[in-house]
Amino acid sequence: MLRLRAVFKKTGRSVYISHLDLNRCMLRIFRRSKLPVWYTEGFNPHPYYSFALALSLGFESECEIMDFNITEDISLEEVKERLNAVMPEGMGVVSVSEQKKKITEIAKAEYCILIDAQNTEELIAEFNKFMAQDEINVEKKTKKGIKTVDIKPAIEVVSIVANEGKVLLDMRLPAGTKTNYNPTLVIDAFREYAENTFEILKIKRTGILCENNEIFL
Amino acid sequence: MLKEKIEKILLSVQKPSRYIGGEVGSVIKDKSKIDVRFAFCFPDTYDIGMSHLGMKILYSLINERENYWCERVFAPAEDFEQLMRDNNIPLYGLESLDPLTEFDFIGFTMQYELSYTNVLNMLDLAGIPVYARDRGDSLNNIVCAGGPCVCNPEPLADFFDLFILGEGEEVNLELMDLYLEHKKKGSNRYEFLKEASQIQGIYVPMFYNFEYNEDGTISSLTVSEGAPETVKKRIIKDFDKVYYPDNFVVPFTEIVHDRASVEVLRGCIRGCRFCQAGFIYRPFREKSTDTICAQTKALCENTGYDEVSLASLSTSDHSEINNMLSKLIDYTESERINLSLPSLRVDNFSEELLEKIKKVRKSGLTFAPEAGTQRLRDVINKNVSEEELMNTCRISFEGGYSSVKLYFMMGLPTETDEDIVGMAELAQRVVDLYYSIENRPKGRGVQVSISTATFVPKPFTPFQFEPQDTRAEIERKQKLLVDSVKTKKIKVSWHDPDVSILEAVLAKGDRRLCDVIYTAWKKGCKFDSWSEYYKFDKWMEAFEECGVAPEFYANRKIGYDEILPWDHLDYYISKEFFVRENKTAHNAVTTPHCRNKCSACGVTKHTGGKCFA
Repeated sequence: MLRLRAVFKKTGRSVYISHLDLNRCMLRIFRRSKLPVWYTEGFNPHPYYSFALALSLGFESECEIMDFNITEDISLEEVKERLNAVMPEGMGVVSVSEQKKKITEIAKAEYCILIDAQNTEELIAEFNKFMAQDEINVEKKTKKGIKTVDIKPAIEVVSIVANEGKVLLDMRLPAGTKTNYNPTLVIDAFREYAENTFEILKIKRTGILCENNEIFL
Repeated sequence: MLKEKIEKILLSVQKPSRYIGGEVGSVIKDKSKIDVRFAFCFPDTYDIGMSHLGMKILYSLINERENYWCERVFAPAEDFEQLMRDNNIPLYGLESLDPLTEFDFIGFTMQYELSYTNVLNMLDLAGIPVYARDRGDSLNNIVCAGGPCVCNPEPLADFFDLFILGEGEEVNLELMDLYLEHKKKGSNRYEFLKEASQIQGIYVPMFYNFEYNEDGTISSLTVSEGAPETVKKRIIKDFDKVYYPDNFVVPFTEIVHDRASVEVLRGCIRGCRFCQAGFIYRPFREKSTDTICAQTKALCENTGYDEVSLASLSTSDHSEINNMLSKLIDYTESERINLSLPSLRVDNFSEELLEKIKKVRKSGLTFAPEAGTQRLRDVINKNVSEEELMNTCRISFEGGYSSVKLYFMMGLPTETDEDIVGMAELAQRVVDLYYSIENRPKGRGVQVSISTATFVPKPFTPFQFEPQDTRAEIERKQKLLVDSVKTKKIKVSWHDPDVSILEAVLAKGDRRLCDVIYTAWKKGCKFDSWSEYYKFDKWMEAFEECGVAPEFYANRKIGYDEILPWDHLDYYISKEFFVRENKTAHNAVTTPHCRNKCSACGVTKHTGGKCFA
């Protein structure tokens, strides 16, 4: 049995597929591909596959990770081609490799956020001030209810620049089995803090990373 | 481009994937190479409309033609509609995201009466005039409709340019071909409609004019512009060879019937006297086992669905049912596909097949005795005996089932209190049967649900002449039923009678209802089939303001010689047959099904003497 890991993209119209729907969608992709994918054994056998991280509705990504198993020896190139032949518009497999790292090694995700603002330079200055605070306390929903967390230490701003009249924010946030911060958490906190108004045009996940910023694969 | 505007609001609504298209199986074409564009509209939300088989067939059929492009359109849910209106986004096709005004045909499928207001709302959202008379001379945005409700399209006549009667597989393309000819030579709307009315199956209501008597009944119908006196529906003669899609649009979000579906037969041999589908889809025709198996395989492979269901009015009536199911189950089992078998009678199967079916049948058990006593079942010609019902229940209980759902109708012609009490008694005997079976499921009690719907008399049935019970009478009967149930093992539920009243009025109505529908819609009525949106009081206000009495349509006994609003439409079943069946019903005498004895319904007159039952 081959334990495989696919990197796939979710762009265009497919960003509106919710995580729950993506599960069902992938089941049908596997069935259409006729790949000898490994089925769970049990009362209700179904193809086994799992996603490393959930992607929020509306987010774009070219680095989503899905693990699955193949029961026959097929080249990785062929697996990729056969999946790509039956994917919905906007989705596609970027690469297929054997599983190397453990899922628990995922520690962060990187996001690129495209922001529309009246005055880009002012907004950037305000964001830098926002990040210079000692604490950034937000209310976060957990299983036990709403609690206040200081997310400041966890935010790694890679860059914030003006580009063609828009602002591009690149940042890393905790992701994986332990802590998960959605970029909207930061954006909402900034919106409350900022005097300038702005609009989020696009959020794209650009990387799933290990603790040392190495790309998870 | 609407896309950007749509994407801006998409993340603030429920289930956004319903509004953006892009599903596997959806057809994208280069519009510069397209001659005729067809917007196939379902007047309800995506979740419901996407489950409709007819749309899947006609969508693929039109798209097979290189120069025609068919797209899907659904009614937006309330949250999205509001944002569309706030942001000036007109209703659009899901494939191109182009506004409906850019389409040649705006075609609705009319599946139930309570979706009529949604048609008006969708036209309005598209920026297309709601009344056909306001659409001007130009040859575009031809608003048309097909589906079962157009067997009496009169309540909708003012809103549509034309109706398509019967099966669409051939006539839809003929209509589009004619349109293309007229488009090329630069005809206006009127010239096209005039010629379209000459195609069999096309009904152009503007060429038909009704006059009324003082008592409200129809006095005469005048036909103009050389349109036919009676418009005949269309049928497919060679049903085994008729086009069937080998792929469906596979939705992302979960829809009501989220599975592949293969049509195994059309029409029905049973002749239940309340059932419109049982008559308007005649003659009975079926697909061969090989065709059914091939279509099942193609659909499952192309869509990736792991569930397939057989579509028909009564799958057990397929002449090769044993062989067909046996072959299908072999395929679905080997491919780990669930086969779902709705509308199946299990009483006459071999032990071996029964074993196979047991393995695939997971859904609950439902039976539709429809009436509580044998006398009333004879009146409605529901040829199910209590013995058969009990026998099937016994087999099912022994096979491990412990809950049964029984469907009944309330307010059937000739119904008495005895028939109402009979429902409770029948359910009680099912409970008793359960406890009399030694190898019943261990440690579980039985649950019998009685579900009642209010009888709605429909056109093109022997009961089209019958009045519907008044609301007060239905409520009295519902109370009587509840009082007759003596155990908690039997649960009773029912549909809102207010909804059934409107359904009866719209089903049997005439052209004077158009303004009522318009007025109700203006008052905010839409999604009338959704109980949370249904506004009975607004409808009653609309009737009042238009000077139309709903009782005239719903609660009046209609004479056999009265001119009916649908008399000029020919669904191949003769009015004499309906009159004869109505009389037979009142004598509580049954009519055997078509394979046992031909009851001369009239269909063979149109099929060259042939009946395929």
